Amino acid sequence: MNVIKYLTAVVAGVALLIGGAVGASAESTLEIVKKRGHLRCQVGPPSPGFYNLDAEGNWYGSDVDTCRALAAAIFADANAVQFQSVSTQARFTAMANGESDVLSRTTTWTLFRDTQLGLDFTAINFYDGQGFMVPKDSGITSAMDLKGASVCVLTGTTTELNLADFSRNNSLDIQPITFEDGNVRNDTYLQGGCDALTNDKSGLASNKAAFPNPGDHIILPETISKEPLGPVVRQNDSQWMDIVKWTVFAMVAAEELGLNSANVDEAKANMGNASVNRLLGTEGNLGEGLGLPADWAYQIVKQVGNYDEMYERSMGDGPRAIGIGRAGSQNDLWTRGGLQYSPPFR
Amino acid sequence: MADVVLAEGYRPPPTVQGTWFAWLRDNLFSTWINTLLTFGALYIVYFAVSGVWAWGITNAVWEAENRRVCFDILAERAQEQGVDELTGACWAGVISWFDSFIVGRYPRGEMWRINLGGLLLVVWMVPIWLPGVRDKIYVGFSTVFLYPFLGFYLFAGGEKGLFLQVMMSLAIVVLIGNTLNGYHGVRTGRSLPAVVIAGLGMKASSDKKQRNTLLAIFAAAFALAFWAQMDWALVSVEWNLWGGLFLTLVISGIGIAFALPGGIVLAMGRRSQLPVIRILCTGFIEVFRSVPLITILFMATTMFPLFLPEGFTLNKLVQVIVAVCLFNACYMAEVVRAGLQAIPRGQYEAAMAMGLGYWKMMGLIIMPQALKFMIPNIVGNFIGLLKDTTLVSIIGLFDILNMLKAVSQDVPWRGLHKEPLVVGAALFFIICFAMSKYSRHLEETLGGGTQR
Repeated sequence: MNVIKYLTAVVAGVALLIGGAVGASAESTLEIVKKRGHLRCQVGPPSPGFYNLDAEGNWYGSDVDTCRALAAAIFADANAVQFQSVSTQARFTAMANGESDVLSRTTTWTLFRDTQLGLDFTAINFYDGQGFMVPKDSGITSAMDLKGASVCVLTGTTTELNLADFSRNNSLDIQPITFEDGNVRNDTYLQGGCDALTNDKSGLASNKAAFPNPGDHIILPETISKEPLGPVVRQNDSQWMDIVKWTVFAMVAAEELGLNSANVDEAKANMGNASVNRLLGTEGNLGEGLGLPADWAYQIVKQVGNYDEMYERSMGDGPRAIGIGRAGSQNDLWTRGGLQYSPPFR
Repeated sequence: MADVVLAEGYRPPPTVQGTWFAWLRDNLFSTWINTLLTFGALYIVYFAVSGVWAWGITNAVWEAENRRVCFDILAERAQEQGVDELTGACWAGVISWFDSFIVGRYPRGEMWRINLGGLLLVVWMVPIWLPGVRDKIYVGFSTVFLYPFLGFYLFAGGEKGLFLQVMMSLAIVVLIGNTLNGYHGVRTGRSLPAVVIAGLGMKASSDKKQRNTLLAIFAAAFALAFWAQMDWALVSVEWNLWGGLFLTLVISGIGIAFALPGGIVLAMGRRSQLPVIRILCTGFIEVFRSVPLITILFMATTMFPLFLPEGFTLNKLVQVIVAVCLFNACYMAEVVRAGLQAIPRGQYEAAMAMGLGYWKMMGLIIMPQALKFMIPNIVGNFIGLLKDTTLVSIIGLFDILNMLKAVSQDVPWRGLHKEPLVVGAALFFIICFAMSKYSRHLEETLGGGTQR
C-alpha cells in the first residue's frame, strides 16, 4: 500500500500543477454540466449513512441525496446524476482533472484542503467528530480513563493523527493498533484485540449497530476532533459554488419553514407565506442569480425532501438508516439548539 | 504335473498388496511413530474442518431479511442448545446480493443480455472442443475477431453505427455457419462448405464455380442478417453500470484475447534482425514490464485526462482495458521469446533450407513447436491476469472485488464481510482451476506433456 500512497502524492502534485492551468481557461461548470445533461458526482467506496450501494446496485445515503438535490435544482430531475466511486487516495485528483463536477463524500473541511488543493468547500451538511467506543464491562466511562490502552484505528486517516494528538495532549500513552480495513478492525475489537475503538462518531454508531450484541458497548461522551463535512467544488467558479452551497441551504431552509416533500405542492398552491413563496420561486426569481430555473428549490424539496427527511432516511431511524439520533445533536436545527442554519432566502 | 521348485528364502506374495488396506498400513501405520503422527494429523484436520463446517453449514443462516435477523436466529439457537453463543455464516446476505456479484450495477431488467452474450460465446466456442469438427482454426479466429462486436453490442446497447451493424451481421452469419459446421463435423466429419457443395450436387464443378457459389450464399445470408437486425436496437447501458464478475471477465477476456497475439508480435520484434523494430519492441517491453500494473492503471485513469483538452473525457473502462492489454502483451512476449529460444537453431536452418520465408518459417515450423512448450506458462499468465484485474477496484470500477466489499457497507447487511469473500474465493477458484485443468488437457492432446 506504500506504493499507492507514494503514487498518490506524485499524481496529486502533478495534477495540481496542471489542474491549476486548466482551471483558469475553463468554461463554467454549470455550462459543462448542462451541456452533458447529467451531473457527475463523486462519492467514495461505500460508507454507511453517507453513500452506499444496495443489493440492486443503486446508490443511497445522505451525500448521495445532496447530489440528487443538486441534479433536481439544475435539471428538475433528481436522477440526472452519474455517481463516481473514487478511492480516497485519488479523490482530489479526480476533481482537479475535471472528472467530477462535485465531491460529495465524507471529506473534512480544513484550512489546508480549502487553500492548497485548488478546491473550495461550500457548506456543512453534517457535523461529525471523533470519539471512542469501549466494551461496557470494561468499566471505562471517559476517554481520560484510556491511559495506556490499546486503541484500534484505521491507518492513513485524520482519525489516526487525531488519536496521536489526543494521546499526547493528555499524556495518555495510548497504543494505536492500525488497520487498513474497517471490518477487520471491528472484528479485532470484538475479539478483544484492543481495549477501545476510535472512529468518527457517526461511524461508531453504525459499527455498534452492526455488532452481534450492540448493548454490550458504549460510546464515550468525549468528542476529540471537529469533522465538518459537506460538498466540495473546484476553486474559482463562484457560480457553481453558489449553486452547490444554496442547494444545501435550501434543504435546511425548507425544514425551517416546515416544508417537506409531502406538503410542498400544497404550500406552493396556497402562496400564503412570503418566505415560502420566495424559496419556491412563486414570488420573485431567486433562481436567476444562480443561473437556475425559478422553481429550483421546489424541485429539491419535491424530489429529494428537506434536510430532516434526508437525515432520517440515511442517518436517523429509517429502515436503511444507521440510527444516530438527531435531537439535541449539532445536526439539529439552530432553533432547537443545533448548528444547521440557513442564511435568508431573499 | 511338474513340481514347483521354490528358491531359497521364498516368501509367498503378499495377498493384500494393492488394496486400500495395504496402502494405509504401508503409508500411514507402518511404525508406532507414524501411527501416532497419523492420528495427530487427523485430529488437526478434524479440528479445522469441523470449525469451518459448523460455521459455514451447520450453524449457517440461509434465510433472513437482514443481518440483525441472522444474529437473532443464532442467539435463539444458542439458547435452545444451551450454549453461550453460536457463530455461523449469514448466507442470506450473499444470496440477496448474488446478482450484484455477477453483474454489478447493471440494470436488473437487462440482465438477460449478459446471459445471452455468455451463452452465445459458449455456443461459438463449443465446436473447438468437439471431435471431428473441421477448420477449427477459423472458429478460433472468428471468436477473437467477430464475437467481441456481437458481445459489445449486447452488453452496451444504444445507437448502432454502420460499422457495428456490418460487423454484427457478419458475426451472426459466422455464428450460424460455425454452429452448422460443428454439427456436420460431429455427425459426418465433413466441413460445412463440403456439405453445401454436395447438397447442391456441384461436387464435379470446377473449384472456381464452387467458390463463387459459396460466396453467393454467404453474401445472401449477410444481406439477410443485415436487413433483419436493421431496426433492432437495445437500450443503452453505460459502462459505469457494468460490474461484478461480468466486468472482471470482460477485462480479463479482452486482455487474454489480445495478450497472446500481441505477445507473439512483440517477441518476434524483439528477436528481429532490423535494429529499429528490435529497439522499439525491447524498449516497449522493458518499460511496461518495469512498472507495476497499478501504476499504469493510475496513470491511465487519473494522469492521462489531464493532458486532454477541456471537457473531453475518455471512457475509463476503455483506458483500463488498453492498459491491461499492453501490460500483459509485454509479459506474454517474454514467455513467447523463451519458447522461441527453446527451439534448436537446426529447425530454423532446416526451414530456411527448404526455401521458406520468414513468415512461413515462423507460422509453419517454429511457432507450432514453440507454443506447445509455452502452454503451462501461457496459462499461468492468463490466470495471473484474471486475478490481477481485481486491481481495477482501487481505481473505482465496481468489479467483483468491490461488489464483494460493498455488502458489508449496505445498511441491512452492515459488517457482513467474511461470507462474500468466501464466495469470491470460491468463484475465482472455480475459474482458475478450470483454466489450469484445461491447460493440462491441451498439453496432453498436443503432446507437449509427453516430452518432459
